[in-house]
Amino acid sequence: MSNALGAVQARKQAPQWRWPLVWVMLLVVSVVGMPAAEPLFHWIEPDARQVVYDRADFYVLLGRHLLVVGIAAIVTIVVGVLAGIAVTRQRGSDFLPLVGQLASLGQTFPPVAVLALAVPVLGFGTLPIIVALMLYGLLPIVRNTLAGLQGVEGDIKTAAHAMGMTPTQILRQVELPLAAPVILAGIRTSVTINIATAALGATVGASNLGDPIIAGIVNGNMAYVLQGALTIALLALAVDSLFELLQRKLHSRLSAP
Amino acid sequence: MIELTRVSKRFGDETAVNDISLRVPKGEFCALVGTSGCGKSTTLRMINRLIEHSEGDITLDGQSIGAYDPVRLRRRIGYVIQHTGLFPHWNVVRNIGLVPRLLKWSTADVQARVEELMDLLGLPVVEFSHKYPHQLSGGQAQRVGVARALAADPDILLMDEPFGALDPITREKLQEELAKLQARLHKTVVFVTHDMDEALKLADHLVVMREGRIIQQGSPLALLQHPSDPFVESMLGGLERGLKQAALTRVKDHMTSMGPTLPAQSRIPVNFSLRQALSMMLRDHTDRLTVVDQHDVPIGDLSLRRVIKEAQLDKGSIRE
Repeated sequence: MSNALGAVQARKQAPQWRWPLVWVMLLVVSVVGMPAAEPLFHWIEPDARQVVYDRADFYVLLGRHLLVVGIAAIVTIVVGVLAGIAVTRQRGSDFLPLVGQLASLGQTFPPVAVLALAVPVLGFGTLPIIVALMLYGLLPIVRNTLAGLQGVEGDIKTAAHAMGMTPTQILRQVELPLAAPVILAGIRTSVTINIATAALGATVGASNLGDPIIAGIVNGNMAYVLQGALTIALLALAVDSLFELLQRKLHSRLSAP
Repeated sequence: MIELTRVSKRFGDETAVNDISLRVPKGEFCALVGTSGCGKSTTLRMINRLIEHSEGDITLDGQSIGAYDPVRLRRRIGYVIQHTGLFPHWNVVRNIGLVPRLLKWSTADVQARVEELMDLLGLPVVEFSHKYPHQLSGGQAQRVGVARALAADPDILLMDEPFGALDPITREKLQEELAKLQARLHKTVVFVTHDMDEALKLADHLVVMREGRIIQQGSPLALLQHPSDPFVESMLGGLERGLKQAALTRVKDHMTSMGPTLPAQSRIPVNFSLRQALSMMLRDHTDRLTVVDQHDVPIGDLSLRRVIKEAQLDKGSIRE
């Protein structure tokens, strides 16, 4: 019976992988095959001498893009989730409104403004864009961590307490697992937005997939803009669909198997 | 044994529990009854220190609860709440085994104990082990809740309106099972409810609370016979009191031995209550019943006059 069950589950799970695979493969194809698409871009931009961005290989740009987004994501996840946990504890509850407001403030600041303010302090390059992404990506994570933790039913927490679980045990074994889907949704929003926002880094000298876009705008070369935008879009779709997959996995683990 | 001496609890200016004293001897079933907001749940939660009391003394087996580490204290006390508070992301086995695992029992011991409890509470292991709380009916979920509370074999069991959210039929079934369980396990139970019938059915000791104070306490029969004021009387059902009292009195104590007359047609088992006897008389349009033992062998007579007379006689002396 377990074999039959396994087969059914395998059949059910197969389509879950389909979209992430499609997007990742399209991304790889576009990154590797960009020079091969030269005739297509000639057709779009017949007057330009150069139609495929070649100041850096696309996979290098992709790698740098991922690095920037990745570093910002790790820092925001750690800071955001920890802040969310801290202010939902009894001792930190005084700071609950403050943290909520600070996180919102971070997102009302346009990333461009953060860049403008950060460059004089941090100089040109990768650091200012990481700071901008961190500020910008913090809100969804903090907000969802708060919503997730506050959404755990009072009865469940009371029972956990009354059974003799310590606060740390309650947090790790009850609250975090139950809040995980909501927190993950926040991380997904944050990372996906930041993949697009990271392109702004090109304006302050952080070389990434924003480079072709900026170069294209400066030189009036639509083909460059398209190449950058297409790759960023595919990257965002690939990462987003991977997160969706992760959410589904988590969901099926939390509810009945 | 649980003992509360002149205990009060204040939340700011508001007094939730006002100077109550209460003693629950080992193995006794004590029910706290009252309307909502009377402080009965607060009283319960002070015993396992979910709420710290403001004044007075609470002792377990003679030792003040302040002397215990709250976490250790709670692991020694079973706790059941109305909406079960089961962990939705854990299956039945994991939920029941929570406290033993907290106490670092071996995996094999936890497993054996969980199966023993599932058996005790009528949850077939094969069927329920791997179910999750959302796959259970209200009654099944509360069985799991009770099993979880009993898992580490605590001496004390606190129950906060455990059957309040169940439909009447399931509620009655679980009440009966709890009574049977208690007859076997002899836990020291404090049971909070607003349902007087439930309290009368289960309790050895009944405590009526109102606005944070204890209005009256005693055995259910004593309260039925001598309610101390109109509030207690209305809680006990006003005119229905006679029937409630009859429900607590066994046929056994009121029957006469078999007379020379022909046995009556209607038969009642000896362990039934006078209330059931009265109901049977009304149903069968008769004023006489034949009392039978568990093998359906006639052993005595019960007449309507006997039922009424005995009930009147009881008024003078308190019997349990």
